[in-house]
Amino acid sequence: MEVINIKKQKKVDRQKVDLRRVRTKIWADRYMYLMTLPVVVYFLIFKYWPMGWLRIAFYDFKILRGFKGSTFVGLKHFKTFLHNPDFIRIMWNTLYLNILSLIFVFTAPILFALLLNEISKNKFKKVVQTISYLPHFLSMVVVTSMITTFLSPSIGIVNAIIKKFGYETIHFLGRPQYFRPIMLVSGIWQGMGWGSIIYLSALAGIDMEQYEAAVIDGAGRFQQVLYVTIPGIANTIMIMLILQIGNLLSVGFEKVYLLQNAQNIAVSEVLSTYVYKMGIQSSNYSLATAVGLFNAILSLILVLTANRLSAKYSEVSLI
Amino acid sequence: MSIPNKNSKGEKVFDIFNIILMCVLGIAFIYPVLNVLAISLSGSSPILRGEVTFFPRQLNLGGYRDVFTNKYIWMSYANSIFVAGVGCVLGLIMISLAAYPMAFGDFYGKKIYNYMILFTMWFGGGLIPTYLVMSKLNLVGSHWALIFNFLAPAYYIIVLRSFFVGIPESLIESAKLDGANDLICMIKIVLPLSKPVLATIALWIIVAHWNNFLGPLMYLNDKSKYTLQVILNDIVLQASGALYEISDAVQSGDGVMVVPQQVQNAVIFVSMVPMLIIYPFVQKYFVKGVMIGSIKG
Repeated sequence: MEVINIKKQKKVDRQKVDLRRVRTKIWADRYMYLMTLPVVVYFLIFKYWPMGWLRIAFYDFKILRGFKGSTFVGLKHFKTFLHNPDFIRIMWNTLYLNILSLIFVFTAPILFALLLNEISKNKFKKVVQTISYLPHFLSMVVVTSMITTFLSPSIGIVNAIIKKFGYETIHFLGRPQYFRPIMLVSGIWQGMGWGSIIYLSALAGIDMEQYEAAVIDGAGRFQQVLYVTIPGIANTIMIMLILQIGNLLSVGFEKVYLLQNAQNIAVSEVLSTYVYKMGIQSSNYSLATAVGLFNAILSLILVLTANRLSAKYSEVSLI
Repeated sequence: MSIPNKNSKGEKVFDIFNIILMCVLGIAFIYPVLNVLAISLSGSSPILRGEVTFFPRQLNLGGYRDVFTNKYIWMSYANSIFVAGVGCVLGLIMISLAAYPMAFGDFYGKKIYNYMILFTMWFGGGLIPTYLVMSKLNLVGSHWALIFNFLAPAYYIIVLRSFFVGIPESLIESAKLDGANDLICMIKIVLPLSKPVLATIALWIIVAHWNNFLGPLMYLNDKSKYTLQVILNDIVLQASGALYEISDAVQSGDGVMVVPQQVQNAVIFVSMVPMLIIYPFVQKYFVKGVMIGSIKG
């Protein structure tokens, strides 16, 4: 009996000590908690509260009536969207634009970095590099207006050249078949310089001795690039590629929206513009949220898969 | 950089070709900007004939006269500066407060705290729920919706945390022995050591706010609140300059003829000026930041 009591007493004492230790620890960290407080409040209100509002995807939500006055409809809005004849088209437009940009816009900075790296005049290199960042700092509205001017049938330089060769002017922005090329070319223009930063820094990190060794082995310039330079940045390319795969379902809203018009809507409607139109313009909040949620979940799956692949192949986990 | 092999003719040809290509690309990067400037300064007939390329023809300042006398453009300029400025200052405070406990903290609940921030990098409420929350908070129609929506992006917090992690903890420990608390440690020791990365993040925030179009498009509904990008879109792309007392037709005043394209390009150029001024000076910080973000993030 007594033995048990002593044991119990010891346990209680230990718990007391633990509790006291916890308290002192919390007290010692009080300034830490004070710092996290505004951050936690901000994240709860502006990041997590909206996540709670995602449930309107499962309601026939009426903003004036709130949740109590709205009926729960389960997956109705998801079904509506999946059965929408435009569904396949919108998904395809989103995915296809991203795949094309993976092929062209993603590779452009790599090639640019490799070519720039071969230039031995440092000053010239620096100037080209600095100029190449410029487009990154321009807004989508500005870029779109530049595209409009550039391709204008009346004052645009492209049509001026076409005319000079004796052909008919082309109204590029009104022809759906030019929408994707315009997106890609302008995307390359905007991102090539900026995107090359990361590769140039990886290139700068390659050991000079590797090149010297290659030269001793009789490698020419081209072979040095093939056997030293490219393997040297392969890891970086891999990481960027994986990040890009995680983004396959998100097309930046702004440029697409700005370049969109009645003629090219069949190829230019993507998930983000559809959500905007359904939600903000038509106030069909529930349907728009359902589409947004559908997109977010697929993107999350893509990100997680991409991260898996990354961990497996490049030993770099991004999460 | 590969070591050139001087004997090969093919390589010399490649070098020349490469330099020419880089020149062409350099011109391609800068041409559209020069073209905007040139059109904004040109007379109406060369513009309408599509003859303006690199340099202005028949110099005409009428476009800028129209822009500088327009109160809506001034107002939107002030609005953009307000949003970018306030967003930047508050954002830096918030991001620092968020990153410090992540880097130096060892408190109960740290794991949850980290996940709370990280999770928002991969998942969020999205456009409509965020909009509805803003409208619940009565922020729709206000600049604060734009500021709060982009106050402390998780990515920036991670970048700052990665930088903080590189600061020796012994500095903080010794300060604590002298009686400093975490808040003081952050303000007096950690932040001064982090100036370059703070500058980077500040500029990221400024550029993002300055160029943001979707946010103002969604949240602002009053002409007096519009930021530059919104009225730029209306004037240039929607050809509804009339909303802002900017004519969409050819007009003449003080004896100078002004075509809409000229005014439009003048507005575009005016909107770009802050970015054009900032970017050459800060690009080295940007470059550094991109590297911290992508390698350690």
